[in-house]
Amino acid sequence: MFRERIASAIVLVGWLASAPVLAGSAPDPRLVLPEFSALSQKASETVVITLDPSLLSMAARFLDGGDPKDAATLEVIKGLKGIYVRSYTFDQDAAYSQADLDAVRNQLAAPGWSRLVQTRSKKTHADVDIYLMVVDKAAIGLALIASEPREFTIVNIIGSIDLDKLRKLQGQFGVPKLDLDAAPSAPAVKTK
Amino acid sequence: MNPFDEEPSGEDKQLESQLRDALRAVEPGDAFTEALLARLASERLTGRGRRYSGWWLPASLAAAVLVAVGTVQHLKAAHEREMGLEARREVIEALRVTNQKLDLAYQAVRTQSSAVSEGVPGV
Repeated sequence: MFRERIASAIVLVGWLASAPVLAGSAPDPRLVLPEFSALSQKASETVVITLDPSLLSMAARFLDGGDPKDAATLEVIKGLKGIYVRSYTFDQDAAYSQADLDAVRNQLAAPGWSRLVQTRSKKTHADVDIYLMVVDKAAIGLALIASEPREFTIVNIIGSIDLDKLRKLQGQFGVPKLDLDAAPSAPAVKTK
Repeated sequence: MNPFDEEPSGEDKQLESQLRDALRAVEPGDAFTEALLARLASERLTGRGRRYSGWWLPASLAAAVLVAVGTVQHLKAAHEREMGLEARREVIEALRVTNQKLDLAYQAVRTQSSAVSEGVPGV
């Protein structure tokens, strides 16, 4: 009898101890982005954007659904819960090290994240890594790390992102429109 | 001879005496004073000056409150509009940067694919 009670207590304590771990095991697509305060002082151009759900919904109210460009933007941000961008441009090469980006890369090694695209260009020395967090066949987060000799950019998008819709925005923000369908073995990026 | 130097007659003296009696100073009495003060007080309460301040002060306060509320609402709306436009600008900038980097990846993938299909090593 006494042993049974002890065993029950041990099971209960074990369950209570594991509950927070189980609760916290749900993958979180939100990355903890470093301050990069030292780098921002050296950078010639800095883009720091933090858009939480309230700011996204506020921005949506100021996008004109009648305007094609705004309507496309509205379509893209409709299912999003956050957009976080850190981009630093420098006047000289090697102003930052890959170690500066390791804090972010390490987070992308966590369960839930899978690398969608990894490109390394010997010609331009531009490296781009695109990660997706997929839960129940739906993308709930995107992370992008682009590093060039004088620039690096980190993008973290939270929510159900549709890269196909995002791709349709090409040419509307000054980004040249590419004939992507012509790429013979381009990776499938439509995630929904 | 000056007619005023003449001694008044008895009839004149009697008339003068009657006039003095009729025109002598008389104290008003307490009742009259109280009545007069009461009337003055009631007139002060219902008089023109009182009526003027009676509606003007609340009206002024109401107008001041309305102006204050309107100003606050206007400033709040202007602040919200400013924040909304800033958020809109940031969304467009964030998507522009994201698109630019996605484009970089797409270009690299396309170049690599073309190179592989053409048998060019080391892209």
